[in-house]
Amino acid sequence: MSKELIRLRDVCMAFDDELVLDHLNLYFKDKEFLTLLGPSGCGKTTTLRIIGGFVTPTSGDVLFDGVRINDVPPYQRQINTVFQKYALFPHLNVFENIAFGLRMQKRPDPSDPTGRRMVKIPEDEIRERVMEMLEVISLKGFENRKPDSLSGGQQQRVAIARALVNKPKVLLLDEPLAALDLKLRKDMQIELKRIQQQVGITFIYVTHDQEEALTMSDTIVVMDKGTIQQIGTPEDIYNEPKNAFVADFIGESNIIDGIMVRDKLVQMYGKQFPCLDGGFAENEPVDVVIRPEDIDIVPVEQGQLIGTVTNVTFKGLQYDIIVDFKGFKWLIQTTDHSPSGSRIGIKIDPDAIHIMKKSKYSGMFGDYSSFSDAYEELDNAGLDPDEEESGDEE
Amino acid sequence: MKRNNTVMDRVFVALVFVFLYAPIFLLIIFSFNAGNSNTVWRGFSLDWYRELFSDRVIMRSVYTTLLVSILATVIATFAGTFAAIGFYGMRRRKRNVLTTVNNIPMMNADIVTGVAMCLFFVAFFHGWGAFAKWFNGIQALVSLPERLTMGFGTLLIAHITFNIPYVILSVSPKLRQMDKNLVDAAMDLGCTWMQAFWKVILPEIKPGIVSGALTAFTMSIDDFIISYFTAGSSSSTLAMTIYGMTKKRVTPEINAISTILFCTVLLLLVITNIREARQEQLELRRRKLPTATAAEAAQYASRPTSRLPKLLAAGGAAALVLCVTVMAGRNAGKPVVNICSWGEYIDESLIDQFEQKTGIMVNYQTAESNEALYSLLKSGAGDYDVVVPSDYMISQLIEEDMLEELNYDNIPNFGLISDRFKNLPYDPDNKYTVPYTWGTVGIIYNTAMVEEPITSWEVMFSDEYAGSVLMFRNSRDAMACALFYLGYDVNTTDVGQLREAFELLRDAKERGVYQSFVMDEIYGKLEGGNAAIGAYYAGDYLSMVENNPDLAFVIPKEGSNWFVDAMCVLKDAPHKEEAEAWINFIASTDANLANMDYIWYASPNEEALESYPDYYEECYGEELDPEVFEIMAPSQEILDRCQLYLSLPAEIRTLYNDLWTELGI
Repeated sequence: MSKELIRLRDVCMAFDDELVLDHLNLYFKDKEFLTLLGPSGCGKTTTLRIIGGFVTPTSGDVLFDGVRINDVPPYQRQINTVFQKYALFPHLNVFENIAFGLRMQKRPDPSDPTGRRMVKIPEDEIRERVMEMLEVISLKGFENRKPDSLSGGQQQRVAIARALVNKPKVLLLDEPLAALDLKLRKDMQIELKRIQQQVGITFIYVTHDQEEALTMSDTIVVMDKGTIQQIGTPEDIYNEPKNAFVADFIGESNIIDGIMVRDKLVQMYGKQFPCLDGGFAENEPVDVVIRPEDIDIVPVEQGQLIGTVTNVTFKGLQYDIIVDFKGFKWLIQTTDHSPSGSRIGIKIDPDAIHIMKKSKYSGMFGDYSSFSDAYEELDNAGLDPDEEESGDEE
Repeated sequence: MKRNNTVMDRVFVALVFVFLYAPIFLLIIFSFNAGNSNTVWRGFSLDWYRELFSDRVIMRSVYTTLLVSILATVIATFAGTFAAIGFYGMRRRKRNVLTTVNNIPMMNADIVTGVAMCLFFVAFFHGWGAFAKWFNGIQALVSLPERLTMGFGTLLIAHITFNIPYVILSVSPKLRQMDKNLVDAAMDLGCTWMQAFWKVILPEIKPGIVSGALTAFTMSIDDFIISYFTAGSSSSTLAMTIYGMTKKRVTPEINAISTILFCTVLLLLVITNIREARQEQLELRRRKLPTATAAEAAQYASRPTSRLPKLLAAGGAAALVLCVTVMAGRNAGKPVVNICSWGEYIDESLIDQFEQKTGIMVNYQTAESNEALYSLLKSGAGDYDVVVPSDYMISQLIEEDMLEELNYDNIPNFGLISDRFKNLPYDPDNKYTVPYTWGTVGIIYNTAMVEEPITSWEVMFSDEYAGSVLMFRNSRDAMACALFYLGYDVNTTDVGQLREAFELLRDAKERGVYQSFVMDEIYGKLEGGNAAIGAYYAGDYLSMVENNPDLAFVIPKEGSNWFVDAMCVLKDAPHKEEAEAWINFIASTDANLANMDYIWYASPNEEALESYPDYYEECYGEELDPEVFEIMAPSQEILDRCQLYLSLPAEIRTLYNDLWTELGI
């Protein structure tokens, strides 16, 4: 990873007095694959549209290579966008869609010594570059097709080609895979990463799908309610979530109230557990995160905690079981079957325990008491790709 | 039972279509009739179409209609498209409110829109006049016209106004269907907003724009009511001309022009519908295609699109616009004169002759009656130079200072007018008028439908022919019939006598004596034998008797009215010199002969009147029936039995109006 390319400095955005972005500070490095991740309404699409130039921030600066570009219109930015639902031009065929940006471009005439006269890109160069792009997206032979005769995945690739052919320094992608089915989405994730490495430019990717973010990104920015919750590599974000929101949004987490007795010792349910974290005040209340896959089920007599199984779901690779520990329900993922109603003991290794400072999100996540509702919410999140961030959409 | 139902269903469907289309088919069929009847088929001919194309009034209104429709369509399409884009960019609540506001004018009754626009224009012109006067008063650099009048400009504005909602209505859905990221995508790829509009938005909403334009054009072509109120005196659309023509009788010429209008609108509707159907098919195919096989898709994608139809359409449109502009250019800047007369009251070839001789363009309009003309002038909607009111109306206009004194130096042909028709009571010093025609009022009846010759006004009030009597649809003439019958002075100001006359009229009306109250509609009714008796003007009788020889005319023994219609120039007329040139031309002997021959009203030009029998013989190779000539230009002896209408005092005029309203026609 190299130098910084784009910086957002104290950016605020308000629609109708509703603050969508709240003093956002963020920078993007050259040639990285960065993902803005968050639930609907978190401000990620707005951030993208500010970078693309489609909206002007209410306050704050947008810097590109150190130059303020707040008022530069989209058509003068070295940035291109792949839109939600592709936004291909229906009246143009694949070739003309890809060539669209090139036909709009003008550059200094090489035969003019003053270099002031601008000419269009010659037709044979356009053809060459479009054909090259068609190769990159593996759609050679489709150039005369109209967009509506292509499948969703093909349209997606045309949209990417249409943006990339202009050789932008940054490519913005606004939930580009949301409209595809699961299988295609997985293929396209790998395809996108491949294309990004092939062309070697910055990709800024917006999604609400944590799995997508973990698969493709060099850096993930987790956002909620217009503020950044955490910035880091996928591993950092997963393993060291900064607060209950991040812990819950990325993967599954049991989040339990605890008290940091001293460094490397935390107390839950009145029992003390050794852990690896430190740096808290003595007896400071904390949130304890335990990932469901990090919990070992042991016979009752060996258990650090003893609870009752209330629900079992077969998931193929593992069972998801809900266990009641003194009224607080945990999700445990295990390959062993424990029937509903049975009493089990659990054991937690010190490296499976992650301690977080208390935040405004404490107590909001990580309890599986109403577990079936929680599952539905997660499912619904995947079905609703529409961002309503500009406030006035239908 | 079920079977019966389907039969009944079919019968009803058939009936519905018969009622819907039979009248139109009848009209189309009879437009090809060789004779001039609308009931008897006399063989196939295209004569009426030929006549149509040589009729200057119709041709000019066709031209006006096309020009106003094309201009209004182009402008409304442009404005409506951008308005729709403006709506599209708005917040939802605001947009919904505006869409509703946009839809209201389409639902609104045309007559309300028409009247409202007329009032608005008149009010605006009034305000403008005051402003221009003030503005011209304080500076001498720019001279603003102080008098604006309704005409082509107001007609065009009205058409644009009522067309815009249709364009918005048909463009908006296309915008809403459009992926809202398309504009962003285009701008992202290097377009400015304007470039994005041309390259992306326009191709996407083009079907909406075209069908909006087609709808607007159709609406413009077939609009009558709004045009009627906003066209002023100098323009007349085709629909208005047809309406004017039907007042006298529905000739096959009207059938012909109506057929053409019907076919034009039908063609436009068919085009619009075919386009819509094709759009839907395309949409359907679009939605189906992702699952279709690649081969099908490829075939669809590579379907060759011919440019020829588009080129043809563009060429045609361009040619049309060019023609229209050239014609407009040719007519622009020429001096004009605006005339308002009565229906079928001039030999139209005179208008051509006058235009060729003087280079002055004539806008020729008609009004229904003196009273209608008066209210038209009072409302400010009638911006004419020359009007041809009757005697009593002239004195009223003079009294109200609505006429301009004539410069008789410009009208040397005034000398040809017989002295009997100069200095008459309505214009005692003859400062304002040049007589146009004169004649008498009498009873026209169908000899085949009455038992013995009619001699008295009594027949207009008795039950003998109840249900087949036609009475004047204007207060002065209708009251006169009753006053003559009662033996009172026709110019009486005695309220008691007027009341009595009114009671007589109302009684007869309530007893069902009158089939209807009519003006020029009397032609069709008497000629067709739909009514037996009607009171009307002698000249019109002579026109009618040509088509139905059973008709007879009588000046009742109680006496009757004789009248003079005279040409006057309105106060502050913008084209006074042209108006006087026109009056002089019409007063000439040749023009009077031509008019007399065409409209059968007697000429006030002594020379013309005396030489008419010879002129007739020369033209038709047969002698003029002296009886006809006697009806046309009755001898002094008969005239002595008749009275001129005199202007009535204001309170009596109000009484007339009140009584007329009370009668409830």
